[in-house]
Amino acid sequence: MLRDNGLFQALLWSVLTIGLYAAAKTLYHRKARWWLSPLLITPALLLLIAVAAKESYQEYIQGTHWLVALLAPATVSFAVPIYEQRSLLRRHWPLLVVGILTGSATAMGSAWMLSNLLGLDETVRLSLLPRSLSTPFAMIVSGDIGGVPSLTAVFVVITGVLGAALGEGLLTWLPLRSSLARGALLGMGAHGAGTAKAYQIDEEIGAIAGLVMVLVGLLNVLAAPLIAHLLPR
Amino acid sequence: MNGFSHTVAWRRCCRSNRLAQIVLILGFWLAGEGITRATGLPVPGAIVGLAILLAFLGNKWLNIRTVRRGAQWFLAEMLLFFVPAVLAVLDHPELTGILGLKILTAIIAGTIMVMTVTAVVVDLCYRIRRSQGRC
Repeated sequence: MLRDNGLFQALLWSVLTIGLYAAAKTLYHRKARWWLSPLLITPALLLLIAVAAKESYQEYIQGTHWLVALLAPATVSFAVPIYEQRSLLRRHWPLLVVGILTGSATAMGSAWMLSNLLGLDETVRLSLLPRSLSTPFAMIVSGDIGGVPSLTAVFVVITGVLGAALGEGLLTWLPLRSSLARGALLGMGAHGAGTAKAYQIDEEIGAIAGLVMVLVGLLNVLAAPLIAHLLPR
Repeated sequence: MNGFSHTVAWRRCCRSNRLAQIVLILGFWLAGEGITRATGLPVPGAIVGLAILLAFLGNKWLNIRTVRRGAQWFLAEMLLFFVPAVLAVLDHPELTGILGLKILTAIIAGTIMVMTVTAVVVDLCYRIRRSQGRC
């Protein structure tokens, strides 16, 4: 009886999502292990519960899409870090532009090449292209170029969780001299998760990673209609 | 006179109150959406909102302290806002099989490529600029 009530379900899933998220964050605060990252734990637990309750994505998202809508004001909020890092931007903009353009081209090119190599279909391929961007930007680009935004969100999360660890390893392997390159590596390759990792290493590298993450997201969103046009079908 | 004291009260409220800042940011988002709808710009409303907020900050029409705490809240809690979208996996049971492994391979290999190429190119450019004495 209660299960058929849409409002009740919406409330239940919203409270459950927020509650699990808050619990995962508290847990991570106490014990910071990568496999305890809220980025991994929150969706994993929710998935388990949804599968156990035989809930479909349609039903779940109906009750929780208001949370996803808040990605838009979160996108607006990126104006604040851009403004706060304006001196960094003014000083290093040529290198940042180089990093963002190379990074974007490599991200799209590698996704395309690897998808072909592995025989992934068109939908998956298009949804994979924006995986390196921060979620709100990635979902916009995905929709623009013909991918599935929610599938892209899944790939973005995987990229973040794995990318933060991969990036840490690569930083010790690559003979990089500048913090600019170190920050660009993490911000370009692993968006928010990479930026958080970068801040753990060094304040300056973190600021660079954050700036790269925002700028690459903006560039891709603005270029998305053009990219959609250029993609071979 | 009255208008002035109103502005002062509003400012004080915004600087100390995160909720007021959150509402203000929602306002910038709605303004962005409105402009996108009215002009048919091919840019999402959120991006237009970001540009307007940046213009306000850059021209000092708005003090950074009036929005900083609200923006930090939105960015810090962003994970919560996209977690529901991740549940889309429920609609794609095929991802748990071979396809999932292939995608994982593509993501890992792709991320290594993106990170390596980006960092190496930026580092090379940095060294070149440095040798030219430009940074």
